Amino acid sequence: MNVNGEEDLELQALQRQLDDAFETTRPRPGFDDELWLRMQGSRPAPRRLRDAWAGLVQGIRAVPVVPASAVAAVLVVALLLVMVGRTLHLNTGGSGAGTALNPAQAPADRSLYAGSFGRVPTPAFAAPGLPSGSLPSSNQGSAAAAAPRYTWTGTFTLNIATAPVFRYHEPSTNAADQFATALGAVLQERPSGFLGSYTAADYSLKVRGTVQSPPSSPAYFIFSSTAMPAVDAAGAGPIDQANVFLAQHSLTPQWSYTVEADTSSDPVQVHYDRQFDVPGYGPAYLVRSDGARDGLQVSLSANRPVLASGLLPMGLDVADYRLVSAEEAIRAALAASGPAAGGPSPTPINLSQAEVVYVLVPAGDHSFYEPAILFTGTITQNGQTQMRRVLVPAVDPSQRTP
Amino acid sequence: MDADRPPFEDLYRDYMGRIYAFVRAQVGSSSDAEDITAQVFMNAYQAYARFEARNATPSAWLFRIARNATLDHFRAQGRRDRLRRTIEHQPVAEDDPAGQAEERIQYRALLARVAQLPERQREAISLRHSGLSFDEVGKLIGCSEDAAKMLYHRALKALKEAVQKEAL
Repeated sequence: MNVNGEEDLELQALQRQLDDAFETTRPRPGFDDELWLRMQGSRPAPRRLRDAWAGLVQGIRAVPVVPASAVAAVLVVALLLVMVGRTLHLNTGGSGAGTALNPAQAPADRSLYAGSFGRVPTPAFAAPGLPSGSLPSSNQGSAAAAAPRYTWTGTFTLNIATAPVFRYHEPSTNAADQFATALGAVLQERPSGFLGSYTAADYSLKVRGTVQSPPSSPAYFIFSSTAMPAVDAAGAGPIDQANVFLAQHSLTPQWSYTVEADTSSDPVQVHYDRQFDVPGYGPAYLVRSDGARDGLQVSLSANRPVLASGLLPMGLDVADYRLVSAEEAIRAALAASGPAAGGPSPTPINLSQAEVVYVLVPAGDHSFYEPAILFTGTITQNGQTQMRRVLVPAVDPSQRTP
Repeated sequence: MDADRPPFEDLYRDYMGRIYAFVRAQVGSSSDAEDITAQVFMNAYQAYARFEARNATPSAWLFRIARNATLDHFRAQGRRDRLRRTIEHQPVAEDDPAGQAEERIQYRALLARVAQLPERQREAISLRHSGLSFDEVGKLIGCSEDAAKMLYHRALKALKEAVQKEAL
């Protein structure tokens, strides 16, 4: 290789590193919500009032005029569907009832089988191979240069044919108010983009519904005021302090989780990573579209909780859905590789581990937590080894909408 | 609302992280980057009613505000102060067992090196890798598309040399 060719390769490698650096450099967790709150608060009061009024008027106008005959027709169809459903002994997944199909009841013919939610939406993931939480870059030229080529060297067996899919109703302002009231917080306003903003003695609280893109679960955010005391627990580490804070504020997660603390910077972050139980498999983490685990975070500075953000408690319906096989999942992950010919040489990425996880799939009034397979691997660039993740849907394609 | 103008919420969701990364590569300090990013979006939020989509893409409009805010920051702080803080925020070799953390440190180091490039080179690299076209980069820093390309490539080579020098 001549000197120029070698230099070109080095520059391409540097460009890829810059792409990754810019795609993955993000502010600390919670900063975006804090800033959004500040922006909302910066609006003059008359403008806030005008926006609230405009929103109300728009909401009223948005309600369509429905002819009585159309309502009658919908009711008849709904009644027929209920009767047919009962005849076939299908599980209808009642609201908040937490009902589940027994996997053994799943029909053998996968083309006919569909869970009781009907076909579920297909999840959208961040560009495969991104190192961590970022949207795909709009820099197409550089993205093409970084097109990865995946290989699979691990062992992955999936001994289950079905797994639960969870569904929730989009939380209303009433649900947000109930959550806040249970914590002792009082409604202040309903800023754009949030279900409500509330205050308590030593913190302010914001509650938000589902975010479509990048997909994000309904969540709450607690911002401590200066009145928030430090956690007084002699000899307690950050996890103990976070546990005490959550217990004092009735925020201890009611779902399964693992907990770990990141003490590498100030504030210290305590992460409670949510898990779903998959019969026959075990616990599966909830992850964001970039593969990072999701759940609840408490930030502590000098033993004082400064921010807590977590999943809004919601009732979940559940129904079992048929999964792809391990081989099909591996093929799907490898298919995420860049073009085989033309352009610069693809970057080789060795995928070696796989696990079942859950991802949020927003879908309007109802959204879903669906199983997916998270592949992780490594890439070596300039003598440095880095981690990469690839997510593929786990629900069988015949059970999903395209 | 202008039919061509997306809701500000969408703009905020799509660009907040990218603007932060752009600013972070300019100032080399996460706390300064947060302050400037906040200023950028406060300004943009106030001015959005006057934004006309036919004159610029939302991306170019936001990055112009970000660039101006960053320049204001430098003017206010002074170049010497900025260099001092850049050096203070040089990444340290933290003993973190997680591969991801190593990756973050490596990228932080790379952005710190970008922050030490001459102003126009730094801007060319940061804007280009924030997703802007060379045409948009040129318009923002006041030169032609071809000149922006040349500036970018010179900056890339300078960065490579800086990286190699530090590795020795």
